Amino acid sequence: MARFDNTHSRIVAWLKVILPLAALAILSSLFLISRRIDPEAAIPYADVDVAERLREPRMTAPTYSGQTSDGAAIVVSASEARPDQGEGAGAAGLQAELTTPDGASTRFEAATARVTPDRTVLSLEGGVRIASSSGYDLTTDSLTAALDRTRFESAGAVQGSGPIGTLTAGRMVLTQEPGRPQSYVLVFTDGVKLIYLPPSP
Amino acid sequence: QGATVAFGGLKQDTSLPVEISADQLSVNQADGSATFAGNVLVGQGEMRLSAGSVRVEYGQDGKSITRLHATGGVTLANRTEAAESRDAVYTIATGEVVMTGDVMLTQGQSALSGQKLVIDLKAGTGVMEGRVQTIFVPGGN
Repeated sequence: MARFDNTHSRIVAWLKVILPLAALAILSSLFLISRRIDPEAAIPYADVDVAERLREPRMTAPTYSGQTSDGAAIVVSASEARPDQGEGAGAAGLQAELTTPDGASTRFEAATARVTPDRTVLSLEGGVRIASSSGYDLTTDSLTAALDRTRFESAGAVQGSGPIGTLTAGRMVLTQEPGRPQSYVLVFTDGVKLIYLPPSP
Repeated sequence: QGATVAFGGLKQDTSLPVEISADQLSVNQADGSATFAGNVLVGQGEMRLSAGSVRVEYGQDGKSITRLHATGGVTLANRTEAAESRDAVYTIATGEVVMTGDVMLTQGQSALSGQKLVIDLKAGTGVMEGRVQTIFVPGGN
């Protein structure tokens, strides 16, 4: 190192050594200590058990929508659908909505459902909730829904509430009114009992 | 010319719950009109009204019933009196039952018939109109 008598040259001489070294250190940190990029983790895999999927084919969140011969639209969605050994299909967590041409709509929710092989009858089981736009909120244990013509029929007793009070009935059918094809009726049969509480004056 | 009839037995509170039972109830999905059919029995407190079919008429808010239109042979009865007619309209809020179509009213031994009978359940009175005929047994006891 040459001898210098003044501080300025001495500082510059030292800087000529330190600065390149610092530059070298910064440059090397770019490659040596930076985070390892793991090319494997870049693509998120679905964590569903693939083997189970192969063994038991199923659809998640399937939806079916169709129209009956008399013009009512049916939209059915489920959380999961699975073909039954070659005859029809089963579904879980099912929701169906029927919108009839007269503007009324009825929603059905059921725990499980099965479609017959010829795709014309959908039977909802395991507790069905029915909510109709005319204000009826009913529950029954199972219900069969014809997909080719508008006919939703409960297999057993129905209970629930309507705009005019609480109601129980032996059976319930939602279908076209005989004789007036444009209007749809919710018919409670096999004995119906309604309790209406008049508003206290 | 009407005959006012005392309906001691029929006096009752019209805010009691109304229970309607029938063979069948059909509700139109579009306008929500409801019709009970098949030996309909309407019960409220002491009063029983049975009819062939009853159509429900809703209030404005659609949550309350204003009138029950009963047709197809109506019988209104309670402990002591019974009245029969072809049709009847029961307005729940005012407690007024209007029975029309050859009305026959029996009170204990005596009977009264006419074309129209208007019963006020709250006051327990009734007015029979139209060709009123009455048969009563003179108090022999």
